[in-house]
Amino acid sequence: MSASIEIAGVSKVYDGGVRAVDAVAMDIRQGEFFSLLGPSGCGKTTTLRMIAGFETPSSGAIRVDGADITHVPAHKRDMGMVFQNYALFPHRTVAENVAFGLRMRGLDKATITAKVKAALAMVELSGLEDRRPAQLSGGQQQRVALARAIVIAPRVLLCDEPLGALDKKLRQQMQFELKQLQKKLGLTLVFVTHDQEEALAMSDRIAVMNGGRVEQVGTPTEIYNQPTTRFVADFIGDTNIFRGERTTTSTVASALDVGKGLILALPPTEGQGTGVLSVALRPEKIRLITRTDAATAAGSSAHGIVENTNFLGGAVLYRVTLESAHRVLVQQPNAGTSRLFVPGDGVTLEWTPADLVVLKD
Amino acid sequence: MMKALGPLSRRRFLTAGASLGIGTIAAPYVARADDPTLRITGWGGKWGEIMKAEIGPAFESEFKCKLQIDSAFPYLPKLQASSRSAPIYDVMHTNSNEQWAAAEMGLVEPKIDPKQVPNLADVYPYAVSDKIVGVSIFTSAIGLGMRTDKGYGSVNSWKELWDAKYNGVRGGYVIPVNSLGQAFLMMCGTLFGKGQTDLDAAYAALEKLKPIKIVDFTGAMEKMLLSGEVGLCVIHDSGIYRYDGQNQPTDFVSPSEGVLSLEQVLTITPGSKMKELANAYVNYMLRPEVQKRLAETVWYSPANKKVKLDAKYDAKLLTTPEKVSKLIQVDWKWYNERKDEIDQRVNRIFRA
Amino acid sequence: MQTAASNSASLPVAQQAASVRTPGPIRHYGRYLYLAINIAILVFLLAPIAIVVVFALNPTPFIQFPPVGVSLRWFEKFFASRDFMHALGFSLEVAVLTTLSATLLGASAALALARGNLPGTRLIVATMLSPLMLPAILTGLALFQTYVLLDVGRPTWGLVAGHTLVTLPYVVRTTLAVLHNFDMRLEEAAQNLGASPVRTFFEVTLPLIKPGVLAGAIFAFIVSFDQFPVSLFLVSPGNETLPVTLFNYLKFDLDGTIGAASVVSIVLAFVVVIGLDRTVGLRSYVKL
Repeated sequence: MSASIEIAGVSKVYDGGVRAVDAVAMDIRQGEFFSLLGPSGCGKTTTLRMIAGFETPSSGAIRVDGADITHVPAHKRDMGMVFQNYALFPHRTVAENVAFGLRMRGLDKATITAKVKAALAMVELSGLEDRRPAQLSGGQQQRVALARAIVIAPRVLLCDEPLGALDKKLRQQMQFELKQLQKKLGLTLVFVTHDQEEALAMSDRIAVMNGGRVEQVGTPTEIYNQPTTRFVADFIGDTNIFRGERTTTSTVASALDVGKGLILALPPTEGQGTGVLSVALRPEKIRLITRTDAATAAGSSAHGIVENTNFLGGAVLYRVTLESAHRVLVQQPNAGTSRLFVPGDGVTLEWTPADLVVLKD
Repeated sequence: MMKALGPLSRRRFLTAGASLGIGTIAAPYVARADDPTLRITGWGGKWGEIMKAEIGPAFESEFKCKLQIDSAFPYLPKLQASSRSAPIYDVMHTNSNEQWAAAEMGLVEPKIDPKQVPNLADVYPYAVSDKIVGVSIFTSAIGLGMRTDKGYGSVNSWKELWDAKYNGVRGGYVIPVNSLGQAFLMMCGTLFGKGQTDLDAAYAALEKLKPIKIVDFTGAMEKMLLSGEVGLCVIHDSGIYRYDGQNQPTDFVSPSEGVLSLEQVLTITPGSKMKELANAYVNYMLRPEVQKRLAETVWYSPANKKVKLDAKYDAKLLTTPEKVSKLIQVDWKWYNERKDEIDQRVNRIFRA
Repeated sequence: MQTAASNSASLPVAQQAASVRTPGPIRHYGRYLYLAINIAILVFLLAPIAIVVVFALNPTPFIQFPPVGVSLRWFEKFFASRDFMHALGFSLEVAVLTTLSATLLGASAALALARGNLPGTRLIVATMLSPLMLPAILTGLALFQTYVLLDVGRPTWGLVAGHTLVTLPYVVRTTLAVLHNFDMRLEEAAQNLGASPVRTFFEVTLPLIKPGVLAGAIFAFIVSFDQFPVSLFLVSPGNETLPVTLFNYLKFDLDGTIGAASVVSIVLAFVVVIGLDRTVGLRSYVKL
């Protein structure tokens, strides 16, 4: 039966005084696909290792289904884990690898054989029972690692960048299969990755981590559409970030003066105020049209020149230099009907103030 | 720990012997744990065999003790490394030169007390001479060994070793490590100079001996002579006589200038806690019947005048005052004091 | 350990080798030279053994070329000798005890050094390897003097301790070498699957470091079985090891028995190595 995990103010300080994890708090719900996302060194792997019991928190507590397991040794936690390099036992066959956890639980031979068979069937590796790990491809090893972890029916499945070593096509296939399996078994799954696309594609919820701290916890759409911090906005996908002084103009009550004459209208939800503020605007939220001579709509449009283009297939990414000298990324769908802009083209950018996301620093 | 291992190793020892079913072993005296133990040194080979099988057990049962014979070299460094007040040997048996070195270091008593060892009264003078520390219980004669099948003609002088016809088949020793070689060096001084201590004459003579095949072990010389690799060499009589009855084309030559003595010497350590037993052992080794048995086993000339050997041995070994008078003893005290200097010099001679 | 990574890594090397292939004739000369050097090395290594075997089988009591016949008389003499048989048995006993203690101590020490996060690890490793730098004869003499000072005599355990001292470096070295490449995640994986630390050691760690430990054990056995300098001072009367007995025999009787004893030693060492390899096995995962 899958469990929920509560991480309550957990910190990990190493001997040299390095704070690898700093007062991390999050609740992982039962049956949830939960990702820890962040750049390397952000503390995501250390957090996972503390959940697994390979590291002991310097402070704080970890609870599983309400029970404190902070000081329970790893081998008594009943969690499955898929390691980055799979960590398959090289001296044992595929079947023996998968049977390992069952043997440790003292199950009888017949049960073990049956469960191993079922687990290998689930990951589509039937017939490879007697191979050794070194005789398998990377994808096959990955599946063995997965089978070995889930065959013990763990309360939680922990995955440490399990797909990192696979090529792109295989990775996408495995992402899909892992997600399917997780749903089918109703597993609580904690997934560590530095790949934001992977996290967005697979997760129910994501915790974005940076410098040992949690920046934001939310669903993929929340994380993408409403990043709360500058780091999250910058880390997840491409984005344009502006920083400036709050101001009021004749036409716009609540605006941001980002310098060199560029004024951005803030979303209507944002009241009047003063001070410094950062906002994010996703490239695909901007419309690009051939430059018009008309004056730009105050706070929601600007003129510029295309610096370069990046053809993505389904879309085109433009880098545009505004008259205010700001450089902005703009993404337009490639409908295939109209002419694409080329570098040097004069363009006009338009957006809706409501698409601006106000960030915490 | 020693005590705990004792019975175990003895049992293994006996079963090993029994299972192999070799030879007849004189019923060994089974020493009791509280019997005193006399720790001695002793040669291996045939000497070791008969000591282990007969002479040793007989001593044990007569004196109600246990004899622990160390036949693993090197004796002197081991004695040196152990404490003076509790030496690892009670009686040391080794060649005269090593005994002198030990005596100089105070590791062994220079003399044996005739009151404690009555048989001392019956030995030839050489055995307790001023060239001897302790007592020599046997001696070999160092002379020349030759092949009889090569048509060399009769040999009766040491000097024939320098004859050019032996180039390529001449045999000698690595002087720094071999007593025979050392004794021979002294002989060279006598032959070509003013006497034993005339080292310059000896060095010059050695220089002229080249080409010469040199070995470190005496046993190796025996084999080279047997195989014919060497035709004339410096050797001790027992090294030739021990092949008696095998029809080997080799013979021992006792040169007219005299033979060098290679003494088997016993000494007692000053720190021994078993002085009485040690004296008893020395006395036992000088008994005529013990002397006879050992002499006829290893072809050593007995030191006790009263020993009557069988005719075959009597003919060849030094068993009369006349024959014994041919023995030349080496002044090992003098030699040991100059050993380093001599070693350096002879190394230079034979390296070139 | 033996993962896909090492397989893929070998590929560029192979390509490299192919690309620097030299033109025909030169390559041939190179090949012959390579072959000649290998044969020369083999001859150099095996010739002494061949001479010993000839010596052991030759019926004359001295080395003779060409040999005059084949005889087993020296083997008979060797096997019939109570002294040699006792020495052989004792040498085996000491070698086995030494192998056990050196392997146990050496492997444990290596594990502690590789894992323990101990202060001064380098110094400890250097100290443990130091018996290799010291002339073994001095080690033997120093131990002998120590035993004399402690008034314990020259017990078998003292000899085994001396042998352990000089064989320990081999076990430490070979075990450290395998531990160096050991993937710690394998142990974590085992614990994660419910194996206690002790169980993890026996199920995962030990089987994986076994080749190194075993290699060290084989070294320990051979070094102990052939050990002469350390034994010289530490053997006690009546309990001499085979090399010491051979040395003493050599001083009185230089005949084929020495050769026969050597042949028996070589065969025995060989049998032990093969036996260890077969029973505890190097092959299980290394061979692929």
